Amino acid sequence: MHGDITQIRRFLKERLQRDYTTLHGHEAERENVRQLLQRTAELGESNSLLLIGPRGSGKTTLINAVLADLISLSDFQQNTILVHLNGNLHTDDKLALKSITVQMQLENAANGKAFGSFAENLAFLLACLKSGNKRSKSVIFILDEFDLFCAHHNQTLLYNLFDVSQSAQAPICVIGTTCRLDVIELLEKRVKSRFSHRQIFIFPAANTFEKYLDLFKELLSIPNEKELKQITERVNELKLLNSDELTMHRNHYNPAKYKFNKKYIDSWNNSVIVLTADAKAPALSSLRTLYEIDKTESFLKLCLFRLVAQLDPDSQQRITAEQLSEIAATYTADPRVELLCGLSVLELCLVIAIKHHSEIYDRDPFNFEIIFARFAKFSKISTTMQGIERAVSLKAFERLRHMEIILPISSVVGKVQKDFEMHRLALTYGQIKDAIQKYQALPTEVAQWAQSSII
Amino acid sequence: RRQGDSTPKRSIQLSDIVEKRVFNNEDAISTPKRKPKGDDNDIKRSALKNSAIIRRRNSTTAVAGAMTPTQKLKMLRRGELSPTMENRSTTALSASVKSKSDLQLARERLHVSVVPQSLPCREKEFDNIYAFLEGKIQDQCGGCMYVSGVPGTGKTATVTGVIRMLQRQQQADELPSFDFVEINGMRLTEPRQAYVQIYKQLTGKTVSWEQAHSLLEKRFTTPAPRRVTTVLLVDELDILCNRRQDVVYNLLDWPTKSAARLVVVTIANTMDLPERLLMGKVTSRLGLTRLTFQPYTHKQLQEIVTMRLSGSEAFKSDAVQLVARKVAAVSGDARRALDICRRATEIAEAAILPKDSDHVKSTKKFVSIAHVQQALSEMIASAKVQAIKNCSCLEQIFLQAVLAEVTRTGVEETSFLGVYSQVENLAAFEGLNMPTTGNCLRICSKLCAERLLIAESGRNDIFQKILLNVSVDDIHYALRVNGI
Repeated sequence: MHGDITQIRRFLKERLQRDYTTLHGHEAERENVRQLLQRTAELGESNSLLLIGPRGSGKTTLINAVLADLISLSDFQQNTILVHLNGNLHTDDKLALKSITVQMQLENAANGKAFGSFAENLAFLLACLKSGNKRSKSVIFILDEFDLFCAHHNQTLLYNLFDVSQSAQAPICVIGTTCRLDVIELLEKRVKSRFSHRQIFIFPAANTFEKYLDLFKELLSIPNEKELKQITERVNELKLLNSDELTMHRNHYNPAKYKFNKKYIDSWNNSVIVLTADAKAPALSSLRTLYEIDKTESFLKLCLFRLVAQLDPDSQQRITAEQLSEIAATYTADPRVELLCGLSVLELCLVIAIKHHSEIYDRDPFNFEIIFARFAKFSKISTTMQGIERAVSLKAFERLRHMEIILPISSVVGKVQKDFEMHRLALTYGQIKDAIQKYQALPTEVAQWAQSSII
Repeated sequence: RRQGDSTPKRSIQLSDIVEKRVFNNEDAISTPKRKPKGDDNDIKRSALKNSAIIRRRNSTTAVAGAMTPTQKLKMLRRGELSPTMENRSTTALSASVKSKSDLQLARERLHVSVVPQSLPCREKEFDNIYAFLEGKIQDQCGGCMYVSGVPGTGKTATVTGVIRMLQRQQQADELPSFDFVEINGMRLTEPRQAYVQIYKQLTGKTVSWEQAHSLLEKRFTTPAPRRVTTVLLVDELDILCNRRQDVVYNLLDWPTKSAARLVVVTIANTMDLPERLLMGKVTSRLGLTRLTFQPYTHKQLQEIVTMRLSGSEAFKSDAVQLVARKVAAVSGDARRALDICRRATEIAEAAILPKDSDHVKSTKKFVSIAHVQQALSEMIASAKVQAIKNCSCLEQIFLQAVLAEVTRTGVEETSFLGVYSQVENLAAFEGLNMPTTGNCLRICSKLCAERLLIAESGRNDIFQKILLNVSVDDIHYALRVNGI
């Protein structure tokens, strides 16, 4: 029993974090990409493709899944060279070109280092690709964060890659992934003309709440022995993918090391199903909250990881609805309000003074002098806040600024004295109201003052 | 004297001498370069490196494999090592022509890279360029020509077609011989590399641009007997224009020298490039021999596609017509039309495959108008409406709130604070739990990453300005049909 629960926890955690190749949904898109790559590898066709979808919708996973499918074909494995580039790493064409040279193992590269200048590298790469024909190996270029490549000087790299794909040279396939829907507009017109305008849009697979629930169940349930075996085979095949840049196979989750008690699996899976069984189940409302915020798989995985991490052989053996609602609550709670609750009473008083000022003057900017005058009027007649020195209040004011509860108006030219610099309030009134309600042991005077600005 | 015996530049060390004796007499040994202070492991390391290279690549000759990278680089620069691609391991490549289906054959012919022997619908332009180049070569003088047109209208294909024709005539001794050099502005990292490329195509050697420049200058300015005409094709001329315009000036100035016998054909996209971008003296040298390629009309596009398909019955004629009309209405880009046709064949193939097993013969494989329609919608339509439909509930509410704020203020630019108050209203109206500002900021940045919205960069927090990047109608349409 003890061992089982720790094993399940470890298995689920590993699957949530390091399963790079399992794709849920997107059958049509996956088939489309797979056939495109297969044609590139087998028939030597040249193609270009853009995968577009919001962040966290599974673009990279789709490519990984397709590669995992294809890598088992010996034809694909022997006849293609994978080149993986990332717009965040390869920030200009120079770096990208060096990386291409190394990954294609061209003659001017040795031991992971490319020789020669940028111009020479480009000329050599183009000469190599030009010398190729249908008999040479296909090269698959995967460009992550494609929109960042569009920002390079003259878009030289993109032009050349697309140009090779549109001329009778070595067969290449250019796949770009990006989250920008209008990425095509970023291309120069000659680059745009050479791009083949195949765009595949990927939107979150769970487009209804029912599918979201299915996904939830699938991510939490433990597969049976046969399925585990299949996954193991699939993961082992990934080792054939020897690319230095594409590292997903190195640290992929491997179910081979897990062995579950069959009875225990059944009871576990059953408990997961029961969690969301009927329409009135308490877990549903918290899941619906999460679904309303963000319906991507990556967000759900993030939440589930926190859920699974709470499993404990001694106290917590099953996932409960309370846990789920707790986690949903953390996403609906406002961190700014919690920050406000951690302030000292003096700082909170200043925030209240700022709020009064903003309400009266309709969010006009303020400086320390204005706020201190307003606060002094209150502290004079209050019994608890009397005798607070100006320097102490200034310090509190500065602390508010450091916490970015108030923001300086940056357009101030020249050096203005600290007490006179103008600021804006970075909170809504609702947040301040919430904080005052939640604040522990707030003096009644302050709470009353917060209600009205008339003293 | 063998090259290997040249005096070492640095002090001779024991390890170097030992290393020299290891090689055979036939091997070229270069001077030992920048060895770190006498370290005996050097030999071992270099030997290891060499063996690593041999292991990694066996496509080149054995000699090339045993070289150090520096030696290899030198050979590359001298042009002695030709760049190659690795070949496929399976000799029986893919499938023979016979086993390919009609659709596959059509798809292969439709690929943009398969340039036909004679370009349809460009006969007039072909004659024009041919007459110009032939005249210049016959007269053995220099000159310039400027060809312009939007992308995908067959400029480069026509010019290279003319050159091929001329080269064929030259082989048949109907024309004096000429050299052909081709550079492309976009294939250069900077304009001055043009000298390097031209020199490389003339001699095969790679040198620095200063050197290449002076060598070319010498070649073109000094008269030499029996100099043949050189035809220089400059693609993407606008990229070669820098602020000083020295490269363009030189390329266009050489033809004016009587010794040069250089004919320059320049290609660019914009018609008024010489007047708009180039300096007066450069424009003057470019001359007035110009040619403009008009975008293809729908009839021409249809002819292009049908000519590529000649003989095959994979396409219905109305399907081709639909493609031609749709593309001609947008850009008149031949690449676009061919790509759409290619995608249509793929769709047709995918649609037939599952049925294929049931009745093999009865299904005739052809691309109908429905397949083309699907391809067109995939490749031309934008997905903004779909993206909005696929947003989560809060994201949709946020978009609606931006819309509401725009209508309220009448200004296109809204601030986050205003939008947030609208979100509060809408959420209350829909009966949802009140989203916090933190969540709304998160949603805002997510929508900005997708470019449904545009927001200021920087840490303006709740004061950031937000712009709508989709049309108002798109949001209305997407959300009303969906009915949140």
